[in-house]
Amino acid sequence: MALFEAHHLHKRFADQVVLEDITLSFEVNQISGIMGPNGAGKTTCFNVLTGRYRPDRGKVLFDGQDITGLPPRKIARHGIARSFQMMNLFDEYTALENIVLALPEVRAKGFSVLHDLAHDGSAQDRGAAVLARIGLAGREHTLSSALSYGQRRALEIGIALAAEPRMLFLDEPTSGLGTDATATLAALIQEIRKSVTIVIIEHDMKFLFDLADRIAVIHWGQVIAQGSPEALGENEWVRASNLGALA
Amino acid sequence: MSILPQALSARLANWFTAPMLVSFLVFGTMPFWIDAVGLYQYLGVEVMIWVIFALAVNLLLGYTGLPSFGHGAFLGIGAYAYGLTQFNVAANLWISLLGAVVVTAALGGLVAALISHRRGIYFALMTIACAQIFYFVASKWTDMTGGEDGLLNILRLPVDLGLTEFSIKSNFNLYYLCFAAYVIIVVLMWRLVHSPFGQIIRAIKQNDSRVAFLGYNVWLYKWLIFTLSCAISGLAGALFAMAQEGAYINIMSLQWSGIVILMVLIGGGFINFWGPVLGVIFYFLARDILGAYTDTWLLWFGLIFVIMVMFKPEGLAGIWHDAQSMFGRRKAKPQPDPSAKPSHAGGD
Amino acid sequence: MFDFLIGLLPHLLNGVALGLLFALLSLGFMLIIGVMEVINLAHGSLFALGAYFAVMLMGQDGGLPFAFMQSYYDLPAIPRYIIALIVAPALVGVVGMGLEICLRRTYGKDPLYGLLLTFGAALVLEEVIREIWGPAEYFLPLPKAISGGFFFGDLIYSNYRIFAAIFAMAMIGLLWAFLNRTPYGAVIKAGAHDSEMVRVLGYNLSRLRLYVFAFGAALAAIAGIIMAPIWGVRPHVGVDAVIPAFVVIVLGGVGSFWGAVSAGLLVGMMVALTAAFLTEWSLLSMYLLLLVVVTFRSRGFAGKASALEQ
Repeated sequence: MALFEAHHLHKRFADQVVLEDITLSFEVNQISGIMGPNGAGKTTCFNVLTGRYRPDRGKVLFDGQDITGLPPRKIARHGIARSFQMMNLFDEYTALENIVLALPEVRAKGFSVLHDLAHDGSAQDRGAAVLARIGLAGREHTLSSALSYGQRRALEIGIALAAEPRMLFLDEPTSGLGTDATATLAALIQEIRKSVTIVIIEHDMKFLFDLADRIAVIHWGQVIAQGSPEALGENEWVRASNLGALA
Repeated sequence: MSILPQALSARLANWFTAPMLVSFLVFGTMPFWIDAVGLYQYLGVEVMIWVIFALAVNLLLGYTGLPSFGHGAFLGIGAYAYGLTQFNVAANLWISLLGAVVVTAALGGLVAALISHRRGIYFALMTIACAQIFYFVASKWTDMTGGEDGLLNILRLPVDLGLTEFSIKSNFNLYYLCFAAYVIIVVLMWRLVHSPFGQIIRAIKQNDSRVAFLGYNVWLYKWLIFTLSCAISGLAGALFAMAQEGAYINIMSLQWSGIVILMVLIGGGFINFWGPVLGVIFYFLARDILGAYTDTWLLWFGLIFVIMVMFKPEGLAGIWHDAQSMFGRRKAKPQPDPSAKPSHAGGD
Repeated sequence: MFDFLIGLLPHLLNGVALGLLFALLSLGFMLIIGVMEVINLAHGSLFALGAYFAVMLMGQDGGLPFAFMQSYYDLPAIPRYIIALIVAPALVGVVGMGLEICLRRTYGKDPLYGLLLTFGAALVLEEVIREIWGPAEYFLPLPKAISGGFFFGDLIYSNYRIFAAIFAMAMIGLLWAFLNRTPYGAVIKAGAHDSEMVRVLGYNLSRLRLYVFAFGAALAAIAGIIMAPIWGVRPHVGVDAVIPAFVVIVLGGVGSFWGAVSAGLLVGMMVALTAAFLTEWSLLSMYLLLLVVVTFRSRGFAGKASALEQ
């Protein structure tokens, strides 16, 4: 059994069917990719998998437990973290404060009024370690709004990582990044894949084909193909999109 | 030998700060000099009460980003609850205060349960609707609240401290009861907003959906902070009932709910803990000083407010920060320019 | 039972008139929300200002004490009323333009700042009204043709309420036609949808905002003039007006024309019927309605996601 499974998900908004009978599974310690044209339902699919929307029908299983329709905070507590396509940082906080808030040990102290995070050595050290891991060492006390675009993208992933998830969903992590920054990001993902199962939505086909172990193609709210990058290179839609050459 | 005092001072620094101590010093001595500067004791009482109330409002507006536009209702509920506990339960200061806080927190908690899943203007609108409902109930339920006449003859009960007790019949003594409440509220509130809980509510203000995806129960945090803010407003309301020796419907009107927001913003509650304190002082000074010259002081105050929102939405605290950074830059030079000293606006 | 229903008729008529006026007021409010993403808390003050300007233009108690105005005040009531209905909203439109220019500095910031600025402006306008006209209540004189009442069966109907309902209906119809059948309306709707689109279409965005604000303010003033004989003209009448407008917008759903009209009618009926039977509680009913509807339908009857939720 796979670590994360989605069975026959349906989702509609008003009279528009956005997801139709989506079945996906993500194996432990693999990188899985999801691709497809704009408006195909990729982000909606992520939102259903991570609890922002409840599916109309279907089932989501994580490590054998049914997590269908749970709110985001409960899904997060199962050890599932996500990043966002539109950046979702705490702009009035420094890079380190952004990270510290995501640590599970801080979440456990959420209702404490006697602690002071600025003087909490263990939380600060762990936060700094996460920043070092995503290449932001030395920027601990920079306001997140003052970071460069690429650094903000990295911090976006850092927040998700800081939650020490077993499963990480990344929504278009390369969007807006240049070639160099994309290469750095690919290296970061290669590094973190050792400890966490990753699912990536991505437009940058080369990036995805290089990293992913398995890829699913979503179109018209349905999974129209899935398999290894090599196998998908032969797929009709992928070829039609002139992407086969990249595989 | 030297480690102990250092650890102690670090712990104290968790609880107290220099501006806090300055505020205690200024407010603590105020009754002794307020007459000398041409003002009067009752003004001090009003300032203390509205400072407590404005701090409670800012806990929502400035820290959690929840615009409560009907908070005057909770000030009024606290005042009525204080009077009603005094008349119907026990004519004891502590019991009546407790009654005010508990009733206001309970009704606040009820409102919070209805609205904690909302944000932005929809949240503001729901607070207005709830406040208007409280207003109408208070104005029509004459048997309970005295309706348009208000709840009269509320007593300033003696402060019973076990070993000794003192009367708060004089404004001078009542001021010190309010000051004691201020000290407790400020110390606890400062601790609250600098704890993990405080970090999380500020994160909710910046981006509530991200907070939820980090596994926090956003609804519960909003509910708690709203209820807490109402409890503190209830305390302020009880003190207001003592000061006015009555509870009146007027303070539950939207006008006063708006004016407290105006105080918080003019002071700079968005960017500074002390913003509401500055704003309340500014409002009352403007009322008494402008009011001495013109009947339409509210017109001029409104204009000042409009100009402030246009050009310096960070308020008085923002001006203070600017002055400080200007001063800081000048200080780096060999000879600081004495004219660049910050104004005393933030000294109290 | 039949008698009871017949007895209800005048109240229903009041409700319709009130509801249509609420709708008219709210539509101006909504135009401003749509294009500027600002909750204009001064909308009620503009409503009140419209009524005061009309009083000034009708003469009698509230007239200007200048000699040159005297010959104007000697005109018959009907032309003066028509002039008041045109000139007073135009004057309020100019005030609205001034307000919009102040508001420009808050665009692109937290929507709370626009709300607070207009709250301050409402405070200022109310005090200005107090300063100019004093705290006393004025009555707007009406031409004979639309005052008085008539009997239908045993019941008295007010001519004016019928006029008010028809006039408001006509205004709503014209507004709909303006928004949906003219190129100007198309630009305004584009602006409400996405302000970038206005630039792409080659229009000047800041001029569009200026005109739309003036237009919204003028609609508030028209509602104020029509409402004046029903509510009276007091400095505080602005606050009494802005709250129902707010309620109507949220009930109807932000961005929905017919949502606002139907919510306006619903609120008007509700207020008029409770006023008939439970006078004390008539305004409370409006808030309870709001609380119930919004608890179950977070965007009202027909609302779309909007800047208000940020």
